[in-house]
Amino acid sequence: MRRETQNILLVLLGGALLKISFTGTYLRYVKPAHLWLLVLAGVVMIALAAVSIGRELAGRRTSTGDDHHHPGRSAWLLVLPVLAVFLVAPPALGSDSVERAGDSPPRGSQRESVSYPPLPAGDVLPLSMSEFVERAAWDATGSLDGRTVRLKGFVVHEGDTAYLARLRIFCCAADAFPVKVELVGDAASRFADDSWVEVVAELVPGSSTEANHRVPSVTVESISPIPEPADPYDH
Amino acid sequence: MTSDVLPRRRITSLEVLCVLLVLALVGQNWLTGVLDVPAVRTGATVFVAVCVQALPFLVLGVLVSGAIAAFVSADALRRLLPRRPALAVPVAGIAGVALPNCECAAVPVARRLIQQEVPPAVAVTFLLAAPAVNPIVLVATVVAFPGEPAMVLARFAGSLATALVMGSLWARWGRMEWFAERALRRLPPPGDTRSRWVTFAETARQDLVDAGGFLVIGGLTAAVLNVVVPRSWIDTLGDQILLGILVMAVLAVLLSLCSEADAFVAASLSALPLLPRLVFLVVGPAIDLKLFTLQAGTLGRRFAVRFAPLTFVVAVLCAIIAGGLVLGGPR
Repeated sequence: MRRETQNILLVLLGGALLKISFTGTYLRYVKPAHLWLLVLAGVVMIALAAVSIGRELAGRRTSTGDDHHHPGRSAWLLVLPVLAVFLVAPPALGSDSVERAGDSPPRGSQRESVSYPPLPAGDVLPLSMSEFVERAAWDATGSLDGRTVRLKGFVVHEGDTAYLARLRIFCCAADAFPVKVELVGDAASRFADDSWVEVVAELVPGSSTEANHRVPSVTVESISPIPEPADPYDH
Repeated sequence: MTSDVLPRRRITSLEVLCVLLVLALVGQNWLTGVLDVPAVRTGATVFVAVCVQALPFLVLGVLVSGAIAAFVSADALRRLLPRRPALAVPVAGIAGVALPNCECAAVPVARRLIQQEVPPAVAVTFLLAAPAVNPIVLVATVVAFPGEPAMVLARFAGSLATALVMGSLWARWGRMEWFAERALRRLPPPGDTRSRWVTFAETARQDLVDAGGFLVIGGLTAAVLNVVVPRSWIDTLGDQILLGILVMAVLAVLLSLCSEADAFVAASLSALPLLPRLVFLVVGPAIDLKLFTLQAGTLGRRFAVRFAPLTFVVAVLCAIIAGGLVLGGPR
Protein backbone atom coordinates (compact mmCIF):
# COMPACT_ATOMS: atom_id res chain seq x y z
CA MET A 1 0.00 0.00 0.00
CA ARG A 2 1.32 3.43 -0.91
CA ARG A 3 2.05 6.02 1.72
CA GLU A 4 -0.60 8.32 0.29
CA THR A 5 -3.23 5.65 0.76
CA GLN A 6 -2.06 4.93 4.28
CA ASN A 7 -2.28 8.61 5.11
CA ILE A 8 -5.77 8.92 3.72
CA LEU A 9 -6.84 5.91 5.75
CA LEU A 10 -5.35 7.42 8.89
CA VAL A 11 -7.15 10.71 8.27
CA LEU A 12 -10.42 8.84 7.74
CA LEU A 13 -9.93 6.72 10.85
CA GLY A 14 -8.98 9.71 12.98
CA GLY A 15 -11.98 11.52 11.53
CA ALA A 16 -14.20 8.60 12.47
CA LEU A 17 -13.01 8.78 16.07
CA LEU A 18 -13.59 12.53 16.19
CA LYS A 19 -17.01 12.14 14.60
CA ILE A 20 -18.31 9.71 17.21
CA SER A 21 -16.75 11.85 19.94
CA PHE A 22 -18.45 15.06 18.87
CA THR A 23 -21.81 13.55 17.97
CA GLY A 24 -21.93 11.63 21.23
CA THR A 25 -22.43 8.28 19.53
CA TYR A 26 -19.22 7.07 21.20
CA LEU A 27 -21.44 6.33 24.19
CA ARG A 28 -22.87 3.40 22.25
CA TYR A 29 -19.45 1.78 22.24
CA VAL A 30 -17.40 2.85 25.26
CA LYS A 31 -17.86 4.39 28.69
CA PRO A 32 -18.08 8.19 29.00
CA ALA A 33 -14.58 8.49 30.50
CA HIS A 34 -13.08 7.46 27.14
CA LEU A 35 -14.13 10.71 25.44
CA TRP A 36 -10.87 12.59 25.81
CA LEU A 37 -8.89 9.47 24.84
CA LEU A 38 -10.87 9.25 21.61
CA VAL A 39 -10.42 12.94 20.79
CA LEU A 40 -6.72 12.72 21.52
CA ALA A 41 -6.29 9.58 19.43
CA GLY A 42 -8.22 11.10 16.53
CA VAL A 43 -6.14 14.27 16.60
CA VAL A 44 -2.85 12.33 16.81
CA MET A 45 -3.81 10.12 13.87
CA ILE A 46 -4.69 13.07 11.69
CA ALA A 47 -1.55 14.93 12.78
CA LEU A 48 0.71 11.97 11.99
CA ALA A 49 -0.87 11.66 8.56
CA ALA A 50 -0.63 15.44 8.03
CA VAL A 51 3.08 15.48 8.84
CA SER A 52 3.67 12.70 6.35
CA ILE A 53 1.56 14.35 3.66
CA GLY A 54 3.32 17.65 4.30
CA ARG A 55 6.74 16.11 3.87
CA GLU A 56 5.55 14.36 0.75
CA LEU A 57 4.37 17.61 -0.77
CA ALA A 58 7.59 19.38 0.19
CA GLY A 59 9.46 16.52 -1.48
CA ARG A 60 11.52 16.03 1.62
CA ARG A 61 11.02 12.34 1.95
CA THR A 62 14.29 10.47 2.25
CA SER A 63 14.64 7.41 0.11
CA THR A 64 15.91 5.20 2.91
CA GLY A 65 13.73 2.75 4.72
CA ASP A 66 10.07 3.12 4.12
CA ASP A 67 9.98 2.90 0.37
CA HIS A 68 10.99 -0.71 0.64
CA HIS A 69 8.67 -1.33 3.49
CA HIS A 70 5.42 -2.93 2.48
CA PRO A 71 3.16 -3.29 5.43
CA GLY A 72 1.22 -6.41 4.52
CA ARG A 73 -2.24 -6.19 3.16
CA SER A 74 -3.47 -5.93 6.73
CA ALA A 75 -3.50 -2.14 6.56
CA TRP A 76 -6.50 -2.43 4.25
CA LEU A 77 -8.53 -3.64 7.18
CA LEU A 78 -8.45 -0.11 8.59
CA VAL A 79 -11.18 0.58 6.03
CA LEU A 80 -13.60 -1.56 8.04
CA PRO A 81 -13.95 0.56 11.18
CA VAL A 82 -14.07 3.66 8.96
CA LEU A 83 -16.96 2.28 6.92
CA ALA A 84 -18.64 0.91 10.02
CA VAL A 85 -18.61 4.29 11.74
CA PHE A 86 -19.45 6.52 8.77
CA LEU A 87 -21.91 4.36 6.89
CA VAL A 88 -23.44 1.86 9.29
CA ALA A 89 -23.05 3.51 12.73
CA PRO A 90 -24.04 0.36 14.64
CA PRO A 91 -26.66 1.03 17.31
CA ALA A 92 -26.20 0.51 21.03
CA LEU A 93 -26.57 -3.07 22.22
CA GLY A 94 -30.13 -4.04 23.05
CA SER A 95 -32.52 -6.90 23.54
CA ASP A 96 -30.49 -9.26 21.35
CA SER A 97 -27.57 -9.05 23.79
CA VAL A 98 -29.88 -9.51 26.75
CA GLU A 99 -31.32 -12.69 25.29
CA ARG A 100 -27.87 -13.91 24.30
CA ALA A 101 -26.40 -13.38 27.73
CA GLY A 102 -28.68 -15.75 29.56
CA ASP A 103 -28.99 -15.26 33.28
CA SER A 104 -26.16 -14.02 35.41
CA PRO A 105 -26.67 -12.59 38.86
CA PRO A 106 -25.77 -8.96 39.52
CA ARG A 107 -22.46 -7.76 40.82
CA GLY A 108 -21.70 -8.05 44.49
CA SER A 109 -22.69 -11.67 44.61
CA GLN A 110 -19.47 -12.64 46.39
CA ARG A 111 -20.97 -11.02 49.42
CA GLU A 112 -23.74 -12.14 51.64
CA SER A 113 -26.35 -9.52 52.36
CA VAL A 114 -24.89 -6.19 53.35
CA SER A 115 -26.33 -2.93 54.57
CA TYR A 116 -26.65 -0.33 51.85
CA PRO A 117 -26.76 3.37 52.73
CA PRO A 118 -30.35 4.60 53.21
CA LEU A 119 -32.18 5.97 50.18
CA PRO A 120 -33.24 9.62 50.06
CA ALA A 121 -36.83 10.39 50.97
CA GLY A 122 -39.41 11.34 48.34
CA ASP A 123 -42.47 9.99 46.60
CA VAL A 124 -40.99 8.49 43.48
CA LEU A 125 -37.32 7.68 43.64
CA PRO A 126 -35.27 7.66 40.43
CA LEU A 127 -32.79 4.78 40.58
CA SER A 128 -30.40 3.23 38.08
CA MET A 129 -31.29 -0.30 37.05
CA SER A 130 -28.03 -1.63 38.50
CA GLU A 131 -28.58 -0.05 41.87
CA PHE A 132 -32.15 -1.28 42.02
CA VAL A 133 -31.21 -4.84 41.14
CA GLU A 134 -28.25 -4.87 43.53
CA ARG A 135 -30.28 -3.53 46.40
CA ALA A 136 -33.08 -5.97 45.68
CA ALA A 137 -30.58 -8.81 45.78
CA TRP A 138 -28.23 -7.95 48.61
CA ASP A 139 -29.56 -5.18 50.82
CA ALA A 140 -30.12 -6.49 54.33
CA THR A 141 -31.87 -3.30 55.43
CA GLY A 142 -34.69 -3.76 52.92
CA SER A 143 -34.44 -0.14 51.82
CA LEU A 144 -36.55 -0.80 48.72
CA ASP A 145 -39.52 -2.27 50.57
CA GLY A 146 -42.57 -0.11 50.09
CA ARG A 147 -40.70 2.41 47.95
CA THR A 148 -41.93 3.55 44.56
CA VAL A 149 -39.06 3.87 42.11
CA ARG A 150 -38.60 5.21 38.60
CA LEU A 151 -36.49 3.03 36.31
CA LYS A 152 -35.36 3.62 32.75
CA GLY A 153 -34.57 0.82 30.36
CA PHE A 154 -35.77 -1.01 27.28
CA VAL A 155 -38.39 -3.73 27.01
CA VAL A 156 -37.41 -7.34 26.35
CA HIS A 157 -39.93 -10.14 25.91
CA GLU A 158 -38.74 -13.63 26.70
CA GLY A 159 -41.50 -16.15 26.21
CA ASP A 160 -44.57 -14.77 27.98
CA THR A 161 -42.55 -12.69 30.41
CA ALA A 162 -41.73 -9.05 29.88
CA TYR A 163 -38.59 -7.53 31.33
CA LEU A 164 -37.24 -4.06 31.72
CA ALA A 165 -33.55 -4.34 30.90
CA ARG A 166 -30.45 -2.29 30.57
CA LEU A 167 -26.92 -3.32 29.68
CA ARG A 168 -24.10 -2.54 32.00
CA ILE A 169 -20.61 -1.90 30.62
CA PHE A 170 -17.33 -1.38 32.40
CA CYS A 171 -15.02 -0.48 29.56
CA CYS A 172 -16.62 -1.05 26.18
CA ALA A 173 -19.66 -2.76 24.73
CA ALA A 174 -17.69 -6.02 24.40
CA ASP A 175 -17.94 -6.53 28.14
CA ALA A 176 -21.62 -5.63 28.45
CA PHE A 177 -23.88 -7.74 30.60
CA PRO A 178 -27.57 -7.26 31.28
CA VAL A 179 -29.40 -6.14 34.38
CA LYS A 180 -33.09 -6.84 34.20
CA VAL A 181 -36.28 -6.60 36.16
CA GLU A 182 -39.39 -8.69 35.55
CA LEU A 183 -42.49 -6.58 34.89
CA VAL A 184 -45.46 -8.28 36.53
CA GLY A 185 -48.67 -8.13 34.53
CA ASP A 186 -49.16 -7.18 30.89
CA ALA A 187 -48.39 -3.46 31.15
CA ALA A 188 -45.42 -3.86 28.80
CA SER A 189 -47.15 -6.02 26.20
CA ARG A 190 -47.95 -3.06 23.95
CA PHE A 191 -44.24 -2.23 23.68
CA ALA A 192 -42.02 -4.01 21.20
CA ASP A 193 -38.56 -5.29 22.10
CA ASP A 194 -35.98 -2.51 22.41
CA SER A 195 -38.51 0.26 23.04
CA TRP A 196 -37.18 2.57 25.69
CA VAL A 197 -39.58 3.18 28.55
CA GLU A 198 -39.75 4.78 31.93
CA VAL A 199 -41.41 2.60 34.53
CA VAL A 200 -42.79 3.71 37.87
CA ALA A 201 -42.94 0.56 39.92
CA GLU A 202 -42.57 -1.11 43.26
CA LEU A 203 -40.43 -4.11 44.15
CA VAL A 204 -42.23 -7.35 44.96
CA PRO A 205 -40.52 -8.11 48.31
CA GLY A 206 -38.43 -11.26 48.29
CA SER A 207 -38.69 -11.72 44.52
CA SER A 208 -34.92 -11.66 43.98
CA THR A 209 -33.79 -15.20 44.67
CA GLU A 210 -30.94 -17.55 43.87
CA ALA A 211 -33.33 -19.61 41.77
CA ASN A 212 -34.34 -16.79 39.43
CA HIS A 213 -30.74 -15.57 39.07
CA ARG A 214 -31.51 -12.52 41.17
CA VAL A 215 -33.93 -11.02 38.69
CA PRO A 216 -36.42 -9.13 40.89
CA SER A 217 -40.07 -8.57 39.98
CA VAL A 218 -41.86 -5.27 40.16
CA THR A 219 -45.51 -4.28 40.09
CA VAL A 220 -45.94 -1.57 37.49
CA GLU A 221 -47.81 1.62 38.37
CA SER A 222 -47.18 3.36 35.10
CA ILE A 223 -45.13 2.82 31.99
CA SER A 224 -44.43 5.46 29.37
CA PRO A 225 -42.23 5.62 26.27
CA ILE A 226 -39.08 7.76 26.34
CA PRO A 227 -36.42 8.51 23.73
CA GLU A 228 -33.24 6.45 23.94
CA PRO A 229 -30.98 8.14 26.51
CA ALA A 230 -27.70 9.68 25.31
CA ASP A 231 -25.83 7.14 27.37
CA PRO A 232 -27.68 3.89 26.79
CA TYR A 233 -25.68 1.89 29.32
CA ASP A 234 -25.41 1.55 33.06
CA HIS A 235 -21.94 1.80 34.53
CA MET B 1 6.84 0.67 -4.84
CA THR B 2 9.25 3.04 -6.49
CA SER B 3 7.00 4.84 -8.89
CA ASP B 4 9.76 6.07 -11.16
CA VAL B 5 10.52 2.52 -12.26
CA LEU B 6 6.96 1.38 -12.78
CA PRO B 7 4.82 2.62 -15.68
CA ARG B 8 2.62 5.57 -14.75
CA ARG B 9 -0.70 3.97 -15.60
CA ARG B 10 -0.50 1.16 -13.05
CA ILE B 11 -3.47 0.99 -10.71
CA THR B 12 -2.29 2.00 -7.25
CA SER B 13 -3.75 1.39 -3.84
CA LEU B 14 -4.96 4.98 -3.89
CA GLU B 15 -7.34 4.33 -6.75
CA VAL B 16 -8.43 1.07 -5.20
CA LEU B 17 -9.30 2.90 -2.01
CA CYS B 18 -11.24 5.55 -3.89
CA VAL B 19 -13.25 2.96 -5.80
CA LEU B 20 -13.87 1.09 -2.55
CA LEU B 21 -15.16 4.20 -0.80
CA VAL B 22 -17.39 5.16 -3.72
CA LEU B 23 -18.81 1.63 -3.90
CA ALA B 24 -19.47 1.67 -0.16
CA LEU B 25 -21.23 5.03 -0.44
CA VAL B 26 -23.37 3.87 -3.35
CA GLY B 27 -24.19 0.62 -1.61
CA GLN B 28 -24.86 2.18 1.78
CA ASN B 29 -28.56 1.35 1.82
CA TRP B 30 -27.91 -2.19 0.74
CA LEU B 31 -25.17 -2.49 3.34
CA THR B 32 -27.28 -1.26 6.25
CA GLY B 33 -30.08 -3.53 5.05
CA VAL B 34 -27.83 -6.59 5.14
CA LEU B 35 -26.61 -5.66 8.59
CA ASP B 36 -30.12 -5.27 9.95
CA VAL B 37 -30.24 -8.72 11.52
CA PRO B 38 -30.12 -8.78 15.34
CA ALA B 39 -27.03 -10.99 15.58
CA VAL B 40 -25.12 -9.04 12.92
CA ARG B 41 -26.11 -5.76 14.52
CA THR B 42 -24.83 -6.91 17.87
CA GLY B 43 -21.62 -8.14 16.26
CA ALA B 44 -21.13 -4.84 14.42
CA THR B 45 -21.55 -2.89 17.64
CA VAL B 46 -19.07 -5.08 19.48
CA PHE B 47 -16.62 -4.78 16.59
CA VAL B 48 -16.74 -0.99 16.58
CA ALA B 49 -16.59 -1.01 20.39
CA VAL B 50 -13.41 -3.11 20.48
CA CYS B 51 -11.75 -0.91 17.83
CA VAL B 52 -12.85 2.36 19.42
CA GLN B 53 -11.78 1.20 22.85
CA ALA B 54 -8.38 -0.13 21.79
CA LEU B 55 -7.31 2.46 19.18
CA PRO B 56 -6.47 5.24 21.68
CA PHE B 57 -4.25 2.83 23.58
CA LEU B 58 -2.60 1.70 20.38
CA VAL B 59 -1.97 5.35 19.52
CA LEU B 60 -0.41 5.82 22.93
CA GLY B 61 1.77 2.77 22.30
CA VAL B 62 3.00 3.95 18.91
CA LEU B 63 3.82 7.37 20.36
CA VAL B 64 5.94 5.77 23.08
CA SER B 65 7.46 3.50 20.47
CA GLY B 66 8.23 6.46 18.21
CA ALA B 67 9.73 8.38 21.10
CA ILE B 68 12.01 5.48 21.96
CA ALA B 69 13.10 5.24 18.33
CA ALA B 70 13.80 8.94 18.04
CA PHE B 71 15.05 10.03 21.42
CA VAL B 72 16.43 7.01 23.28
CA SER B 73 19.59 5.57 21.85
CA ALA B 74 20.37 1.87 22.02
CA ASP B 75 23.34 2.78 24.22
CA ALA B 76 21.17 4.56 26.76
CA LEU B 77 18.84 1.58 26.97
CA ARG B 78 21.80 -0.74 27.46
CA ARG B 79 23.09 1.39 30.29
CA LEU B 80 19.64 1.43 31.88
CA LEU B 81 19.18 -2.32 31.94
CA PRO B 82 21.36 -4.81 33.82
CA ARG B 83 23.57 -6.72 31.41
CA ARG B 84 22.67 -10.23 32.49
CA PRO B 85 19.21 -11.42 31.38
CA ALA B 86 18.76 -13.08 34.78
CA LEU B 87 18.69 -9.59 36.30
CA ALA B 88 17.23 -7.68 33.37
CA VAL B 89 14.11 -9.86 33.17
CA PRO B 90 12.90 -8.98 36.69
CA VAL B 91 13.71 -5.32 36.04
CA ALA B 92 11.50 -5.43 32.94
CA GLY B 93 8.76 -7.06 35.00
CA ILE B 94 8.90 -4.23 37.52
CA ALA B 95 8.98 -1.67 34.70
CA GLY B 96 5.71 -3.19 33.53
CA VAL B 97 4.19 -2.56 36.97
CA ALA B 98 5.09 1.09 36.83
CA LEU B 99 3.80 1.79 33.31
CA PRO B 100 0.03 1.85 33.04
CA ASN B 101 -0.19 0.36 29.63
CA CYS B 102 -2.92 -1.42 27.79
CA GLU B 103 -1.98 -4.68 26.07
CA CYS B 104 -2.39 -3.13 22.65
CA ALA B 105 0.08 -0.39 23.55
CA ALA B 106 2.68 -2.82 24.85
CA VAL B 107 3.16 -4.61 21.52
CA PRO B 108 4.66 -1.74 19.48
CA VAL B 109 6.74 -0.68 22.48
CA ALA B 110 8.16 -4.20 22.84
CA ARG B 111 9.06 -4.28 19.18
CA ARG B 112 10.84 -0.95 19.46
CA LEU B 113 12.79 -2.18 22.46
CA ILE B 114 13.98 -5.20 20.46
CA GLN B 115 14.92 -2.92 17.58
CA GLN B 116 17.00 -0.85 19.97
CA GLU B 117 18.98 -3.97 20.87
CA VAL B 118 17.30 -4.69 24.16
CA PRO B 119 17.50 -8.48 24.67
CA PRO B 120 14.24 -10.03 23.40
CA ALA B 121 13.78 -11.87 26.70
CA VAL B 122 13.52 -8.51 28.43
CA ALA B 123 11.13 -7.12 25.84
CA VAL B 124 8.98 -10.23 26.12
CA THR B 125 8.79 -9.83 29.91
CA PHE B 126 7.74 -6.23 29.49
CA LEU B 127 5.18 -7.23 26.87
CA LEU B 128 3.49 -9.58 29.33
CA ALA B 129 3.91 -7.59 32.54
CA ALA B 130 2.86 -4.12 31.39
CA PRO B 131 -0.81 -4.82 30.64
CA ALA B 132 -1.38 -7.30 33.45
CA VAL B 133 0.07 -5.91 36.66
CA ASN B 134 -0.12 -2.13 36.31
CA PRO B 135 -1.92 -0.07 39.00
CA ILE B 136 -5.03 0.65 36.92
CA VAL B 137 -5.71 -3.03 36.36
CA LEU B 138 -5.07 -3.89 40.00
CA VAL B 139 -7.41 -1.16 41.23
CA ALA B 140 -10.08 -2.37 38.81
CA THR B 141 -9.69 -5.84 40.27
CA VAL B 142 -10.06 -4.54 43.84
CA VAL B 143 -13.28 -2.76 42.83
CA ALA B 144 -14.64 -5.79 41.01
CA PHE B 145 -14.01 -8.23 43.87
CA PRO B 146 -14.95 -6.19 46.93
CA GLY B 147 -15.09 -9.11 49.35
CA GLU B 148 -11.97 -10.86 48.08
CA PRO B 149 -8.74 -8.92 48.58
CA ALA B 150 -6.81 -12.15 48.00
CA MET B 151 -7.99 -12.11 44.38
CA VAL B 152 -5.89 -9.01 43.64
CA LEU B 153 -2.80 -10.51 45.19
CA ALA B 154 -3.35 -13.78 43.34
CA ARG B 155 -3.80 -11.94 40.05
CA PHE B 156 -0.67 -9.87 40.62
CA ALA B 157 1.39 -12.93 41.53
CA GLY B 158 0.04 -15.06 38.69
CA SER B 159 0.57 -12.41 36.01
CA LEU B 160 4.01 -11.32 37.18
CA ALA B 161 5.07 -14.97 37.41
CA THR B 162 3.82 -15.54 33.85
CA ALA B 163 5.91 -12.62 32.60
CA LEU B 164 9.04 -13.68 34.47
CA VAL B 165 8.76 -17.35 33.49
CA MET B 166 8.22 -16.45 29.83
CA GLY B 167 11.14 -14.02 29.97
CA SER B 168 13.42 -16.67 31.43
CA LEU B 169 12.27 -19.29 28.95
CA TRP B 170 12.92 -16.86 26.14
CA ALA B 171 16.37 -16.00 27.49
CA ARG B 172 17.20 -19.71 27.45
CA TRP B 173 15.57 -20.94 24.25
CA GLY B 174 14.37 -17.93 22.26
CA ARG B 175 15.84 -17.31 18.80
CA MET B 176 16.26 -14.05 17.02
CA GLU B 177 15.32 -15.48 13.63
CA TRP B 178 11.75 -16.03 14.83
CA PHE B 179 11.17 -12.32 14.68
CA ALA B 180 10.09 -10.90 11.35
CA GLU B 181 12.95 -9.25 9.54
CA ARG B 182 11.14 -5.91 9.49
CA ALA B 183 10.71 -6.06 13.27
CA LEU B 184 14.47 -6.11 13.71
CA ARG B 185 15.51 -3.60 11.07
CA ARG B 186 17.46 -0.84 12.73
CA LEU B 187 16.44 2.68 12.02
CA PRO B 188 19.12 5.06 10.83
CA PRO B 189 20.42 6.82 13.94
CA PRO B 190 18.74 10.21 14.11
CA GLY B 191 21.01 13.21 13.72
CA ASP B 192 19.91 16.73 14.66
CA THR B 193 16.77 17.63 16.60
CA ARG B 194 14.69 18.21 13.51
CA SER B 195 15.39 14.81 12.04
CA ARG B 196 14.64 13.28 15.44
CA TRP B 197 11.12 14.69 15.32
CA VAL B 198 10.73 13.45 11.78
CA THR B 199 11.82 10.00 12.89
CA PHE B 200 9.38 10.19 15.77
CA ALA B 201 6.41 11.06 13.56
CA GLU B 202 7.33 8.65 10.78
CA THR B 203 7.94 5.68 13.12
CA ALA B 204 4.74 6.29 15.03
CA ARG B 205 2.77 6.59 11.80
CA GLN B 206 4.25 3.45 10.32
CA ASP B 207 3.67 1.47 13.52
CA LEU B 208 0.10 2.66 13.66
CA VAL B 209 -0.66 1.58 10.10
CA ASP B 210 1.08 -1.77 10.67
CA ALA B 211 -0.57 -2.61 13.95
CA GLY B 212 -3.95 -1.00 13.29
CA GLY B 213 -4.92 -3.55 10.65
CA PHE B 214 -4.15 -6.39 13.00
CA LEU B 215 -6.14 -4.77 15.74
CA VAL B 216 -9.08 -4.72 13.35
CA ILE B 217 -8.71 -8.47 12.74
CA GLY B 218 -8.73 -8.99 16.48
CA GLY B 219 -11.81 -6.82 16.84
CA LEU B 220 -13.62 -8.76 14.12
CA THR B 221 -12.83 -12.10 15.74
CA ALA B 222 -13.84 -10.90 19.16
CA ALA B 223 -17.12 -9.60 17.76
CA VAL B 224 -17.96 -12.88 16.05
CA LEU B 225 -17.16 -14.90 19.16
CA ASN B 226 -19.00 -12.51 21.41
CA VAL B 227 -22.13 -13.31 19.44
CA VAL B 228 -21.48 -17.00 18.79
CA VAL B 229 -20.33 -18.08 22.26
CA PRO B 230 -23.24 -17.67 24.66
CA ARG B 231 -22.11 -16.80 28.16
CA SER B 232 -24.89 -18.97 29.53
CA TRP B 233 -22.61 -21.95 28.80
CA ILE B 234 -20.57 -20.88 31.75
CA ASP B 235 -23.44 -21.21 34.19
CA THR B 236 -23.70 -24.90 33.39
CA LEU B 237 -20.09 -25.56 34.44
CA GLY B 238 -20.81 -25.12 38.13
CA ASP B 239 -18.33 -26.85 40.36
CA GLN B 240 -16.41 -28.87 37.77
CA ILE B 241 -13.13 -27.22 38.59
CA LEU B 242 -10.87 -28.61 35.83
CA LEU B 243 -13.39 -28.07 33.10
CA GLY B 244 -14.05 -24.62 34.51
CA ILE B 245 -10.37 -23.70 34.37
CA LEU B 246 -10.05 -24.90 30.81
CA VAL B 247 -13.18 -23.18 29.57
CA MET B 248 -12.32 -19.90 31.29
CA ALA B 249 -8.77 -19.97 29.89
CA VAL B 250 -10.08 -20.50 26.36
CA LEU B 251 -12.76 -17.90 26.88
CA ALA B 252 -10.16 -15.34 28.00
CA VAL B 253 -8.38 -15.89 24.68
CA LEU B 254 -11.51 -15.77 22.57
CA LEU B 255 -13.28 -12.79 24.12
CA SER B 256 -10.19 -10.50 23.91
CA LEU B 257 -11.37 -8.17 26.64
CA CYS B 258 -9.44 -5.10 27.70
CA SER B 259 -7.41 -5.83 30.84
CA GLU B 260 -9.08 -2.90 32.54
CA ALA B 261 -12.50 -4.51 32.19
CA ASP B 262 -11.95 -8.24 32.46
CA ALA B 263 -12.09 -8.24 36.26
CA PHE B 264 -15.69 -7.04 36.13
CA VAL B 265 -16.64 -9.73 33.67
CA ALA B 266 -14.96 -12.34 35.85
CA ALA B 267 -16.77 -10.99 38.90
CA SER B 268 -20.10 -11.28 37.14
CA LEU B 269 -19.55 -15.00 36.44
CA SER B 270 -20.34 -15.80 40.02
CA ALA B 271 -21.63 -19.29 39.27
CA LEU B 272 -17.97 -20.33 39.07
CA PRO B 273 -15.46 -20.84 41.90
CA LEU B 274 -12.70 -18.24 42.23
CA LEU B 275 -9.89 -20.28 40.70
CA PRO B 276 -11.28 -20.53 37.14
CA ARG B 277 -12.02 -16.82 37.28
CA LEU B 278 -8.44 -16.12 38.35
CA VAL B 279 -7.22 -18.14 35.37
CA PHE B 280 -9.42 -15.93 33.19
CA LEU B 281 -7.77 -12.81 34.62
CA VAL B 282 -4.20 -14.07 34.26
CA VAL B 283 -4.58 -15.52 30.75
CA GLY B 284 -6.57 -12.65 29.19
CA PRO B 285 -3.97 -9.86 29.36
CA ALA B 286 -1.14 -12.28 28.52
CA ILE B 287 -2.60 -13.71 25.36
CA ASP B 288 -5.84 -13.31 23.46
CA LEU B 289 -6.88 -13.26 19.83
CA LYS B 290 -6.52 -9.52 19.46
CA LEU B 291 -3.01 -9.69 20.93
CA PHE B 292 -2.09 -12.68 18.82
CA THR B 293 -2.96 -10.93 15.59
CA LEU B 294 -1.16 -7.80 16.79
CA GLN B 295 1.95 -9.79 17.67
CA ALA B 296 1.89 -11.74 14.42
CA GLY B 297 1.70 -8.49 12.49
CA THR B 298 4.19 -6.54 14.53
CA LEU B 299 6.77 -9.07 15.59
CA GLY B 300 6.29 -11.74 12.98
CA ARG B 301 4.14 -14.80 12.48
CA ARG B 302 6.91 -17.25 13.37
CA PHE B 303 7.31 -15.50 16.68
CA ALA B 304 3.58 -15.43 17.42
CA VAL B 305 2.85 -19.09 16.68
CA ARG B 306 5.55 -20.12 19.16
CA PHE B 307 5.00 -17.44 21.74
CA ALA B 308 1.20 -17.55 22.01
CA PRO B 309 0.63 -21.25 22.84
CA LEU B 310 3.54 -21.28 25.29
CA THR B 311 2.24 -18.13 27.00
CA PHE B 312 -1.18 -19.74 27.25
CA VAL B 313 0.18 -22.83 29.01
CA VAL B 314 2.51 -20.87 31.28
CA ALA B 315 -0.24 -18.40 32.22
CA VAL B 316 -2.69 -21.17 33.09
CA LEU B 317 -0.10 -22.95 35.23
CA CYS B 318 1.02 -19.75 36.96
CA ALA B 319 -2.60 -18.85 37.69
CA ILE B 320 -3.30 -22.29 39.18
CA ILE B 321 -0.20 -22.14 41.37
CA ALA B 322 -0.89 -18.55 42.46
CA GLY B 323 -4.48 -19.52 43.16
CA GLY B 324 -3.38 -22.51 45.20
CA LEU B 325 -0.96 -20.45 47.26
CA VAL B 326 -2.90 -17.22 47.70
CA LEU B 327 -6.52 -18.29 47.53
CA GLY B 328 -5.81 -21.58 49.26
CA GLY B 329 -7.42 -23.93 46.74
CA PRO B 330 -10.24 -23.74 44.20
CA ARG B 331 -12.91 -22.08 46.41
